[in-house]
Amino acid sequence: MPFDFWAGWVAVLTLSSVLGLGWFVFSIYFGSGQEAEDSGTVWDGNLREGAHPAPMWWFWLILATLVFSVIYLMLYPGLGSFAGAMRWTQAGDVQGSVAAWESRFSAKRAEIAAAPLDALQADAKLMAAAERIYARNCAACHGTEATGQANLFPNLKDDEWQWGGHPADIETTIRAGRNAVMVGWGGILGDAGVRDVADYVRQLPHGATSDHPGMAQYNQFCVACHGIDGSGQTLLGAPSLADDVHLYGGDAAAVEHSISAGRAGVMPPFGNRLDDMQIRLLVAWLTRS
Amino acid sequence: MAAASYYEDGIARFLTACAIVWALLGMAAGVYIAAELVWPTIDFGQPALSYGRLRNLHTNGVIFGFGVSALMGTAFYSVQRTCHVPLFAPKLAWFCAVGWQIGMLAGGISLLAGWNAGKEYAELEWPFDIAIALLWVCFGVVFFGTIAKRRIRPIYVSNWFYGGLIIVIAMLHIVNSLALPVTLSKSYSLFAGAQDAIVQWWYGHNAVGFLLTGGFLGMLYYFLPKHADRPIWSYRLSIVAFWAFTYSYIWAGPHHLHYNAIPEWVQSLGMVMSLVLLAPSWATMINGVMTVAGAWEKLKTDPALKFIVLALAFYGLATFEGPMMSIRSVNVVSHFTDWTVGHVHSGALGWNALITFGTFYFLVPRLVGGSLHSVRLANVHFWLALAGTMLYVLAMWGAGVSQGLLWLAMDDLGELSFSFRDIMASMAPYYALRLVAGVVFLSGAVLMAWNLYLTAKGRPTVKVSPP
Amino acid sequence: MNAVELHRKLENNAGLLIFGILFVSAIGGLVQVLPSVFQDALVAPSENVEPYSALQLAGRDIYIRESCGNCHSQQVRPLLAEVQRYGPYSRAGESAYDRPFLWGSKRTGPDLHRVGGKFSDAWQRLHLIDPRTVVPDSIMPGYPWLAETPVDAPDVQRKMRVLRRLGHPYTDEQIAAAAATLAEQMEVDAVVAYLQALRAKP
Repeated sequence: MPFDFWAGWVAVLTLSSVLGLGWFVFSIYFGSGQEAEDSGTVWDGNLREGAHPAPMWWFWLILATLVFSVIYLMLYPGLGSFAGAMRWTQAGDVQGSVAAWESRFSAKRAEIAAAPLDALQADAKLMAAAERIYARNCAACHGTEATGQANLFPNLKDDEWQWGGHPADIETTIRAGRNAVMVGWGGILGDAGVRDVADYVRQLPHGATSDHPGMAQYNQFCVACHGIDGSGQTLLGAPSLADDVHLYGGDAAAVEHSISAGRAGVMPPFGNRLDDMQIRLLVAWLTRS
Repeated sequence: MAAASYYEDGIARFLTACAIVWALLGMAAGVYIAAELVWPTIDFGQPALSYGRLRNLHTNGVIFGFGVSALMGTAFYSVQRTCHVPLFAPKLAWFCAVGWQIGMLAGGISLLAGWNAGKEYAELEWPFDIAIALLWVCFGVVFFGTIAKRRIRPIYVSNWFYGGLIIVIAMLHIVNSLALPVTLSKSYSLFAGAQDAIVQWWYGHNAVGFLLTGGFLGMLYYFLPKHADRPIWSYRLSIVAFWAFTYSYIWAGPHHLHYNAIPEWVQSLGMVMSLVLLAPSWATMINGVMTVAGAWEKLKTDPALKFIVLALAFYGLATFEGPMMSIRSVNVVSHFTDWTVGHVHSGALGWNALITFGTFYFLVPRLVGGSLHSVRLANVHFWLALAGTMLYVLAMWGAGVSQGLLWLAMDDLGELSFSFRDIMASMAPYYALRLVAGVVFLSGAVLMAWNLYLTAKGRPTVKVSPP
Repeated sequence: MNAVELHRKLENNAGLLIFGILFVSAIGGLVQVLPSVFQDALVAPSENVEPYSALQLAGRDIYIRESCGNCHSQQVRPLLAEVQRYGPYSRAGESAYDRPFLWGSKRTGPDLHRVGGKFSDAWQRLHLIDPRTVVPDSIMPGYPWLAETPVDAPDVQRKMRVLRRLGHPYTDEQIAAAAATLAEQMEVDAVVAYLQALRAKP
């Protein structure tokens, strides 16, 4: 069935039924030949219908709503395919408000997006705005204080940056996201091997001794990413093992679990959710001292 | 055939008792989920206590358990008296009344078990949908059968509204429930996406319209003049009120879908008809108020009438608020917020529950031929109900309007001023107040249950013959 | 004929009254609902919108079972603030495979129509099982049982066959392959897969 048919159907049925309602109301108020209307019927003991006329203000009330409706339907889409005199659409509505928003804010936002970080960091108001952007987009994982959560989402307040702490690195992380790929080593190392390597890793910050039973396997399997001294490699997202910061937990059980099952931390890309100004402000906020 | 010369009032008594049990159960579930929004861990990891499932028990329990039991009971009670004949097919009526209770009880359990068709106020799955449709037809057969054999020619106004309830709900329920079953507990709607949205809100809004409004207007048109001992003020106004109501309500559904992905013309029609609806809604309110106008002195002594008059006031309030919220630009703020919840409850508590309470305080002593066990207790209930409703509505207005405005707020960089989470967290005091309101309202209902139980205890149902 | 006389005819005759109520109450639906049922544009999937995969479908039905829609909408309105908060506004064609639709009526929690990709799977899993491990002030219920219940693969295959009868283009191969893809998946994995699929299709 073509839409034209249904457009006509909508318009005709709507208008004729509204007219019908109008006639009905009008006739109740002003119709002739209703003198003998009080039938005097008594339904149930004291249950009767009163003979008061319907009040005039009610007539004006429904007339006003009907007149308003007709005017509204002349101005706005309602009667089938008739677009209404205002040519209003909800897509046009939002396009209009986005355009107004852009003309009002885009110059200012472009300026902020291009500003040096220290200038942004010096502006308390902008930093407060950045904090709100953080709260809306980042806090659910990294915590409201940006100190990390749940032994899964890194602390952003310390100096340890898994993917690099340079502003450009942080911007890349926000824009494109990150996917860490540490495979599980449980099958290769076996339970004892996992325990030994975990223990070795836990000794690394304190200068592990060369006769440690986990060292050989560490040097065989782990160095490629984490380095011989455990200093890590930000390009691969391999965190430093030579400090006391442990994203996934530093106790023996947690480290053993990381080694045996692997880790695949994911930072989703926000390049399509945040604009340049928002990302710039976040970088400034995250790298402020 | 001696028995046939008496009204069948046992059914009304049974359904009144069931309605009270459903009120307590449904409202208790409501209080519990209100508490869960304050203390989210009190579901104790139990699926059946989880907010999502328990909320479905709450809404279905109060609408289809409490509401329909009360409507069916009062419809059966009043249709006999306004037709001067006992119920048509009383065995079928009993089947319908008892069947409804069994169906709703099983349905309630199924909701807690996670059976869910996924449509609001139509969550019950297809086996229950079929049972509801069949029982509803039985309801219609008994009701219209009684009217068909009436011994008084004009059909009284309360029966127009009860009739509208039966006919329109049948139409809405059957169309909206059309689905293809997968298993006993799962089906897929015949409608998808935007189309499903339009069908669902055509149903959803008019379940409110013809059940919670129209059905209860039937209750009002019988019990208010009966109790006030005055004729319904204006017969003419009743006529326009009924037909304008029946015509315009059914269009109002799309105001639930403003700025959603449905065509603009559907939204606009939903909006203008919602505004037109103000007129028939207020017609009945005025008709009611003017009916009581000569009987104000009764209000001092009669708690039942107090409930009914207060219900009328909330009815007037809610039916003004609804059209306002259906205006596109107001809806931008109110949609998806607790304002809607407040609006629903000013209707559900202030109008539906209060008029039913008033009706029960009037009806139960008459059914058992005694007087109310304690008028004092009923007066206490009145104040608890009023306080509970007011607190509830105020809390949700506060919550809803601030949500709506804060979600939209922007700063001078063009950034959203608040995170969703901060706005959500700032709702805590409102949600706590709402919990208090719910407890207050529920405790009043408990008093009523106790009071009416003692009123009816040990007394047989009075036998009344048609004149 | 005036309106009172017309009404008197109806109120004196039960059959006419029934007919009158049915007629008057049907008009609105005939205008708003009937044309919608025949408007293909309302139910045609937009480009790039595919039926849900077996795992996503399982997740969607768990989302329905737990009534997530009581608190979460899936409908970004075409309003500046909503587009900024959530992303591109929702289009009808995106819901073509939604039976029933899940646009919702209340946002106790945030809208979810663009939540896909905003969080990692690991976050979603933690959050579903106990929201307060990652959002301390959350009032969302935890769903620990999702992590303990395996997805019922034959059930999902049955669902895919029923949906195919309703016009969702699942192939025999897809339905057969569902058994393998769903093996050893827990319900929480299914819900996460579904949530990650909720995103604007370019």
